[in-house]
Amino acid sequence: MKARRIRVNGFTDIPRLMPRLNIATLPDFFILYESLNKSIPSNEIIAKMERVLTALEESVADALSQPNKTESGMIAGGASLLQQYSAAGGSLLGSAFSQVICNAMAVAEHNACMGRIVAAPTAGSCGVLPGALLTVAKLHKIPRERVLRSLFVAGGIGEIISIRASLSGSTHGCQAENGSASAMSAAAIAALFVDDLSTIESAAAFGLKNLLGLTCDPVGGLVELPCVKRNVVAAVNAVACAEMALAGIKTVIPLDEVIDAMAAIGNSIPSTLRETSQGGLAVTETAQRITAAMRGKQ
Amino acid sequence: MGIFDVMGPVMIGPSSSHTAGAARLGYMARLIYGKPIKKVQITLYNSFAETYHGHGTDLAVVGGLLGLPVDSPQLRNALTIAEAQGIRYTFVWKQDLAQHPNTVKFLFYDVDNEGGSESSGSSNGSGNESGHAFPAPPFSITGNSIGGGNVRIVEINGHRVDYSGYHDVLMITYQDLPGMIGFIGDTLGTRNINIAYMSLARDAVEASAMAFLKLDAPCPPECAAKLRANPNVFSVITINKLGDGV
Repeated sequence: MKARRIRVNGFTDIPRLMPRLNIATLPDFFILYESLNKSIPSNEIIAKMERVLTALEESVADALSQPNKTESGMIAGGASLLQQYSAAGGSLLGSAFSQVICNAMAVAEHNACMGRIVAAPTAGSCGVLPGALLTVAKLHKIPRERVLRSLFVAGGIGEIISIRASLSGSTHGCQAENGSASAMSAAAIAALFVDDLSTIESAAAFGLKNLLGLTCDPVGGLVELPCVKRNVVAAVNAVACAEMALAGIKTVIPLDEVIDAMAAIGNSIPSTLRETSQGGLAVTETAQRITAAMRGKQ
Repeated sequence: MGIFDVMGPVMIGPSSSHTAGAARLGYMARLIYGKPIKKVQITLYNSFAETYHGHGTDLAVVGGLLGLPVDSPQLRNALTIAEAQGIRYTFVWKQDLAQHPNTVKFLFYDVDNEGGSESSGSSNGSGNESGHAFPAPPFSITGNSIGGGNVRIVEINGHRVDYSGYHDVLMITYQDLPGMIGFIGDTLGTRNINIAYMSLARDAVEASAMAFLKLDAPCPPECAAKLRANPNVFSVITINKLGDGV
């Protein structure tokens, strides 16, 4: 079939379309998807993703190069403390696990400090993908080309979430940002090791399911608290979900239905808990004190 | 959306709407104004006004005005760079529920014209009749940051527009006379430039009209000059579509 454009409504469309497009893997599907829909040759699409991968790698390196601290005092060099603690032998589960935690936190803190990051899918969840995916890829010495291809899986899962629901905290709460980032990262990690669609789908479904219901209630409207530590949780969750899927555990609820559930939950979250900073953590006594102090500096 | 809307933008944090979007609005305003910036008043509305400090919205907007892309680490030093370049900027903060939650309004002042009598440049919407004793009104641009780093310019010199940077644009103000649309269409058509979208607005007081066109190819300088040469045309502004990383 010579397609002019590719439209998908959900993940379930993909296995149906792949044989008709003569495509064998999910990365190839999303490369063609982007190439046809944007009328850009596939080699340019791949070159563009190469720049995204480089920016992801640089975001980790930049973020780890110095302690990241913000004026509000809510971000106070957490990743640096993690590095020191791990180096001193404090790591609870070994250096790989500590690196996932530390790298996710470092990039999220770097973002809060006006560092250069990749908003994948959003700036508030930018630590998840580099923290989880790049750390696992490095540990297992995955060839760079395979890591690059896995980014198309991450992007493709995010695209499907954006088609059926939203990637925005103001629409569906934090589940749409860190939940989506975790689903994208879990799927990409699975795709480092296998091409099997159901394994990748399960990884993504687990990633999102585990973070359903998360609200967006940032203190002072800033991308700091609870955002930064949520990145850590979402990254750890992504690794756990990928490992479950790679072990052969299948999702009972298909990914598309999980995404629909996320949208339905998001729609029932009151607006006070959707990035307006009018509820939850943002209106606690301490949060109000920090918010007032920040306003005073304006 | 698209794969790279999910996997991006590559940007300076912390917020796609309050930092990257703000920088992009400044960048687009710079392109639309099209002249060296000397003095600008920047009004931040609503959410932009409430949380600009922690998000670096002020740095991002000024950085965009300097031409810095959304992933430039120099955004952090934008205010210092602007001062070093002699750009005079002032900030105003306002609450106005009629405006989008993340709105910025730019008023560009032609410093040479402050209280003086010199004519404004040909790209200024105030017209090309020189010699009047009043200072030219500032060049005004309003934009919204609509999420995920995406933006929309909604007002230029009092005319409502809808521009997100995805097309090449041509904006023309002219004496509201029959045949002007035909003249514009012919001028573009003979150069094989297709019009993708066109909107017209009329200013009843000044008897001027503005045409806002989205094009499938950029309007080259020679074509803009041809349009400008028409005695009934007051101003011509061309904006090329934004590339990656802006």
